[in-house]
Amino acid sequence: MSAIIELINIKTYFYITKGFFKTLAVKAVDGVSLTIHKGETLALVGESGSGKTTLGRTALKLVEPISGKIIFEGRDITHVKKDLKEFRKKAQMVFQDPFTSLNPYMTVRQIIEEPMIIHGYPADERERRVLKALSDVRLLPAEEFLPKYPHMLSGGQRQRVGIARAIVLEPTFLVADEPVSMIDASSRAEILYVLKDLQKKYAMGIMYITHDIATANYFSDTIGVMYLGKIVEYGPTKEVIGSPLHPYTKALIEAVPDPDPENRFRERNVIPGEPPSPINPPLGCRFNTRCPFVFEKCKEKEPQLVDVGRKHLVACHLHQ
Amino acid sequence: MMAVLSVKNLKLYYGTLRGSVKAVDDVVFDLENGEALGLVGESGCGKSSTAIALIKLLPSNVVKFEGEILFEGKNLTTLSDEEIRSEIRWKKISMVFQGAMNTLNPVLKVGFQVAEPLIVHKKVEKEEALDKARELFKLVGLPPEYVERYPHELSGGMRQRVVIATALALNPKVVILDEPTSALDVSVQAQIMNLLKRLKKQLHLSMIYITHDIALASDLCDKIGVMYAGEIVELGPIEKVLLTPKHPYTQKLISCIPHLKGNKMPEFIPGAPPDLTNPPSGCKFHPRCQHVMEKCKVNRPHAINVDGRLVKCWLYE
Amino acid sequence: MSYLKESLSEFWASKVSKLGIIFLLVVIAVSIFTVATMPLDYGTRYWSNPRYWVENPKLAKPSWVNYFSTEKLLEHAVLPSEFSIPQFSGQYYLKNYFMNYELKVNQFPTFIMLRLENLTYYKSPPTVKLFIERPDNKTINLYTLNVEKPLSEEEPPFVRYADEPKRILLSGETTIAYALSSFLLTEYNLSTNPSEVMKMGYEKIIFGTLVNGSFQPLKGMYHIKVVLSSVDGRDNLGKVAFVVGGMIFGLMGTDSLGRDLFQGLLFGFPVALLIGFTTSVITTVIGAALGIVSGYVGGLVDDFIQRTADIINNFPQLPLLILLTFIFGGKLWIIMLVLVAFGWPSLTIILRSMVLSIKNAPFVESAVSMGASRLRIMLRHIFPQVAPYILSQMIFYTPSAILAEAGLSFLGLGDPSMPTWGQILEYGFKNGAVYLGYWWWILPPGILIVFSAVTFVLLALGLEPVVNPKLRRWR
Repeated sequence: MSAIIELINIKTYFYITKGFFKTLAVKAVDGVSLTIHKGETLALVGESGSGKTTLGRTALKLVEPISGKIIFEGRDITHVKKDLKEFRKKAQMVFQDPFTSLNPYMTVRQIIEEPMIIHGYPADERERRVLKALSDVRLLPAEEFLPKYPHMLSGGQRQRVGIARAIVLEPTFLVADEPVSMIDASSRAEILYVLKDLQKKYAMGIMYITHDIATANYFSDTIGVMYLGKIVEYGPTKEVIGSPLHPYTKALIEAVPDPDPENRFRERNVIPGEPPSPINPPLGCRFNTRCPFVFEKCKEKEPQLVDVGRKHLVACHLHQ
Repeated sequence: MMAVLSVKNLKLYYGTLRGSVKAVDDVVFDLENGEALGLVGESGCGKSSTAIALIKLLPSNVVKFEGEILFEGKNLTTLSDEEIRSEIRWKKISMVFQGAMNTLNPVLKVGFQVAEPLIVHKKVEKEEALDKARELFKLVGLPPEYVERYPHELSGGMRQRVVIATALALNPKVVILDEPTSALDVSVQAQIMNLLKRLKKQLHLSMIYITHDIALASDLCDKIGVMYAGEIVELGPIEKVLLTPKHPYTQKLISCIPHLKGNKMPEFIPGAPPDLTNPPSGCKFHPRCQHVMEKCKVNRPHAINVDGRLVKCWLYE
Repeated sequence: MSYLKESLSEFWASKVSKLGIIFLLVVIAVSIFTVATMPLDYGTRYWSNPRYWVENPKLAKPSWVNYFSTEKLLEHAVLPSEFSIPQFSGQYYLKNYFMNYELKVNQFPTFIMLRLENLTYYKSPPTVKLFIERPDNKTINLYTLNVEKPLSEEEPPFVRYADEPKRILLSGETTIAYALSSFLLTEYNLSTNPSEVMKMGYEKIIFGTLVNGSFQPLKGMYHIKVVLSSVDGRDNLGKVAFVVGGMIFGLMGTDSLGRDLFQGLLFGFPVALLIGFTTSVITTVIGAALGIVSGYVGGLVDDFIQRTADIINNFPQLPLLILLTFIFGGKLWIIMLVLVAFGWPSLTIILRSMVLSIKNAPFVESAVSMGASRLRIMLRHIFPQVAPYILSQMIFYTPSAILAEAGLSFLGLGDPSMPTWGQILEYGFKNGAVYLGYWWWILPPGILIVFSAVTFVLLALGLEPVVNPKLRRWR
């Protein structure tokens, strides 16, 4: 199976200046490797500060990593700056906020046409592709949607326009950054099914970034759980969710509300505290400040990702 | 048992350039003592508008506000603004607003912000009020020393606890919470839900919990009201509504929940919630309902009792 | 574009904008009228040309003041005559031109003037005599003009006063003093010498009667006769006019040079619009372009533009303007140049910060991820977001430019050849209009300056609700 994108030990830091001489490094992504193959959906699950969004942006070269490699369709594009036109055609992004991800002054037609105008497609080709993209995302009849402005559409429709814009050039790699977290619960599945269909149609690799492990469960093939800039558990979705090994993964699963009337009589098992700041990650295992199973080694040595079988990797001293 | 809050035929319409938005269109429910009622609905269903209607925090473009809100023998809709402000709001009924944790005053210490209602309403001295604030902090799981901190020194979850403490400052009977955890990480959300469960038991609070997530509502609520386009379409005990939903919208809403166990794929409801300036005729859900009949397009269904809960649906009338 | 419709309806909704639009339409209508009816070089050809105004009374009040006072002021009268009655008196051919003047009010004319146009003679130069017959039937032989002899190279017929009419300000002619001196002797038995007569004032003597030691205006019909006396019957005077200087003139009165203030103020409309509009458009274009580039491109370009803007903002504008005026003389384009050069920085600085926040919007990031060039992003994505603000700034800057020009003119740094409101104000102040009470000279331009500024301020205020919500969210 061909790998569409390979990230090797990516580190993305942001620098903020505090005062005259002090510069602090926000270690948003601190050493992450992953591979996404054709037709595969990898879910990156994590909370705020996990670095998942930054990793997605790094993969699309919207932000430069300070070290590591990005290999796209076999080509090392880590340091390529000028010759990115092909890459920009084939690697696209779907954004989280349906309100701010579309230019309010452009019609649906103009929004979807834009990638084609930038890459110099002729007018008749553009027309054909716009209609095809709208029908791909099931916004029909397509002609009716073309002259509309974003504020005339519902959140779900706007999000689908965003998807149409992303797939109009038939990309091979799609980064979907929380594409349904700002959509009503009753419309989420529709959008994810549209993405799934498109993935099959165009044989795309999708990086699905989310904080909601429940949607990752049915939408992704592989899952990577991120905490404070690192992947703490990685593997086939059913495997990881069926038998979670890392305490953080277990906590995330436990925290998902399920519709059970008995819930109100018992308190959930929760881990205390909140994710620390990526400016000064804890020494040793980053999760040690909140882990219910913490012991001495966790505070000293950082655990590495280890394969425990069935392609299931986990970075935890309990499983080394 | 006498209901603590009894709402009948509540209506709240806003005036806009495009017409009047029928945000709350004939809402009826009772809140019993010590009970948590969940108002569940999606964007634009009117749940937040219902909340502000209950404490009469109305915006300037209201064109219709009528109905009965019976609380402690008085009808709140008929009280003057001054009476509501001095007697009811915060003292008897308080509210945790959506995103409140982000609107704490950044230049005031959090302890003072919690103590403020005490100083203003109960005319308590500042020191005494701060002592009460420390107690409240303990109650919501924050170290009492944190009264000296500023909002930016606290994490999101801590700030939300501060907001909850503020809502409890005057020992209200009813607390309304509008999406109190939507801006928080899942793990923090679970912590706050645990806190709310604890507070409900400890303080015997009556709560109205507003959320778009019906699964989250089950974490806290005894009774649940499912809202659509400004009306409550199903209202009843959580066991009944969650396990045997009767209204097609409720049924669909529950089927949209993704499950971590099992292989069941979540469903979706095609279409979008209606434009409240021009809602569909008859039953407002009819354009998206899979059981739609001719009757549904013309007549608005009434609330009738079906198997221990109230439903507004022509399938049962 | 439905955004346009929504914006327009919001704009129209407020009374302020409606008022602003009405005012603006008035200004535009007057400007169009002015440009259509007055020549473009009006300033240099007429306004700065004192000879054009010589027949007007100086410092005359507007005509309409007569509606407000019981004591009516004397109207200005220009009495032409082209029709002559020929006569032959033995040796000479006479052509008599008659004009009538009725003095209705209790005031003396401010001056009298004789205008001769298009004189042709064939042999020897004729003479022109001026007689005034008073209501009390007394006639004064006021003035005699001996027409200039032909030049050596000239051939008959000899034409005089054709390109430029001959205007004789009788009130300043010393010869008249003699004529009036003898009149005073015959009439009142008053012995005077010419300089005393001049001190008394010709108009008082001609148009008055001596009562108790002072002259009182003599109301009634005056007959003015101009006689062309020549040896050749063909000699002819095309047109003759007698000007009786009044105290009121035209719609807005006159200034100390006799210039019709109505024309000057009228011309001020398109000039104000031109200055205001052109300056603000250029300033806005420069400021907006630099602001957007500075905010989006960032880095060294940003630093450079911002520092330049800071320096210019802190530069003393007035001394520079004085220096330039000193070097180049007061010219309109210098004022506009300085206004533009000092106007763009404030817009740039504000736009830059707006662009910094828009830059991070997801739809901009989306364009970047598609491979859009920076130029495309700035034009297609960033500009529409700030366009309403830019437009409102442009409208808001217009009155600043108008006021700046007025202020600079007022300080004497303006273009004196052009009748702008500021210029009129300046000239009035210079001539002591404030102390001497020439209200019609300084109030109208002041009011018009305020009016034009208010027009644009109202428009900008009306635009605010349209601009503001767009600033807050990109909806």
